Amino acid sequence: MEKRLLPANIVEQVKGVFKEMEGKVTALFFKTDRRCDYCKTGEQLLKELAEINEKLSYEVHDIDSERARQFEIEVAPSIILLTADGDDKGVRFLGIPAGHEFGTLLQNIVSFSKGAKPDLSEESLKKIGAIDSPVDIKVFVTTTCPYCPKAVLMAHNIAMANKNIKAYMVEANEFEELSKKYGVSSVPQIVINDKVTFVGAYPEGQFVEQVLNAL
Amino acid sequence: MEFFDVGSAKKTDIKDRYDVIIIGGGPGGITAAIYAVQAGLKPLIIEKALDGGQMNNTQAVENWSGFSSISGMDLSEKMADHARAFDVPFAYNEVVDVELEGQEKAVILDNGKKLNSRVLIISTGSNPRDLGAKGEEQFKGKGISYCATCDGHFFADKHIAVIGGGNSALDESLYLSKMVRKITVVQNLAKLTADKLLQDKLNATGKVEYIYNSVVDSVEGDSQLSAISIRNVDSGNITRLPVEGMFVFIGLIPNSGFLKGKLKLNDFGYVPTDENMETEIEGIYAVGDVREKEVRQIVTAAADGAIAIYHAARSYFDE
Repeated sequence: MEKRLLPANIVEQVKGVFKEMEGKVTALFFKTDRRCDYCKTGEQLLKELAEINEKLSYEVHDIDSERARQFEIEVAPSIILLTADGDDKGVRFLGIPAGHEFGTLLQNIVSFSKGAKPDLSEESLKKIGAIDSPVDIKVFVTTTCPYCPKAVLMAHNIAMANKNIKAYMVEANEFEELSKKYGVSSVPQIVINDKVTFVGAYPEGQFVEQVLNAL
Repeated sequence: MEFFDVGSAKKTDIKDRYDVIIIGGGPGGITAAIYAVQAGLKPLIIEKALDGGQMNNTQAVENWSGFSSISGMDLSEKMADHARAFDVPFAYNEVVDVELEGQEKAVILDNGKKLNSRVLIISTGSNPRDLGAKGEEQFKGKGISYCATCDGHFFADKHIAVIGGGNSALDESLYLSKMVRKITVVQNLAKLTADKLLQDKLNATGKVEYIYNSVVDSVEGDSQLSAISIRNVDSGNITRLPVEGMFVFIGLIPNSGFLKGKLKLNDFGYVPTDENMETEIEGIYAVGDVREKEVRQIVTAAADGAIAIYHAARSYFDE
């Protein structure tokens, strides 16, 4: 028997979280046959999650595939979530959401099963909704960082609020070159449009201001 | 893959009103919630990051009875699971404002929601304190870190400085020693203040050297930190120490900024209380690290939480 990633007690907890799921969710998993230390693990993780609740399914694609070009995915492993209607809400994971980021993936899955409605204040929704140019938010994390899930969830909720926004969780150890390029040595480090950079899990109002500063 | 943490995905539906709202899900807040349920009250815990709070950053807790040694992360999970077994709801938000006047108290969350309660427990804990050295702001996130578990990986095989000689500094040094090449601990006093047991463990790694009676005067570098200047507090002499990273654990500042102007704080930002943990305002309590007191430990935070609820239940809910 293959070795399971998720321990039995975690599977039980995930079952509880997934009880909240309403509609179907599809996770697109992008891998490569070239060097990829974590591709097998990522695929295994989605497989085990999909076994827990039938509302979650997953597809595996190569980063050289048409599907990858469609979603502008160039690195592996990557995960994109789609709603029951097949809507891409700009929510992306580069690297495996393990450790403390596991909860982020689960919350996003539940949220997508309910149509991926952003959990933001009306004021933030108004400000983010008005953005009419592309925004790229990268949140660099390590899976051992207790403060990082808050920053990733915030970025993902902001992406859900506007079609022009894409928000990436980037696992800094898996994507070392990208981390070096952006000089990451503390997490969470947030980079917006390669223009605004800050370190730390800002509260909602301040995070939204930083997005507006990057326009 | 080392572990999978369901974390804040365990959130529950949140109502508009509770008997007791507890701001902060560390040991003080969780214990208060457990005692509240036992007193027949309905509590809510509001946590901005992770169940257990700062405990998550401690590698090994060896002074919480019942466990000769347990990681801070595991203890956090056990405490939060205990509260959940008592049906305590958790909201994962940051409190940005409070209304403390009148019988009915209110907290305003960063998503704009307003929640009410009769009693408010402030258990917001504390965060690592800045050094105040020249250049510190510039190199935050560029070689200066305040969280070893978060950022340790970035300093694999490097020579780093750890500033501070207390339990936090040495606990985090022990964690960092697994990945870095060399650690120079810079302590402002003539000796370490950490527990002897922890000192022995760290010395056994063979990777650590100590500089005593010294403080960091300034930091320098190009795009990343490359050296720190250390001043001897007796002689005033300054020595330059080339390092690729610096971790700062010189003490804590209370998370009480959102209370300024609303509640009496002492000069350092801690909340003064009476022996029942009640603040100057009736129905508002402070427990754990954020409270003005001598001993800041997991066990004292938990005790504060129990005392606060014991008093609150009898004072405000005893009909």
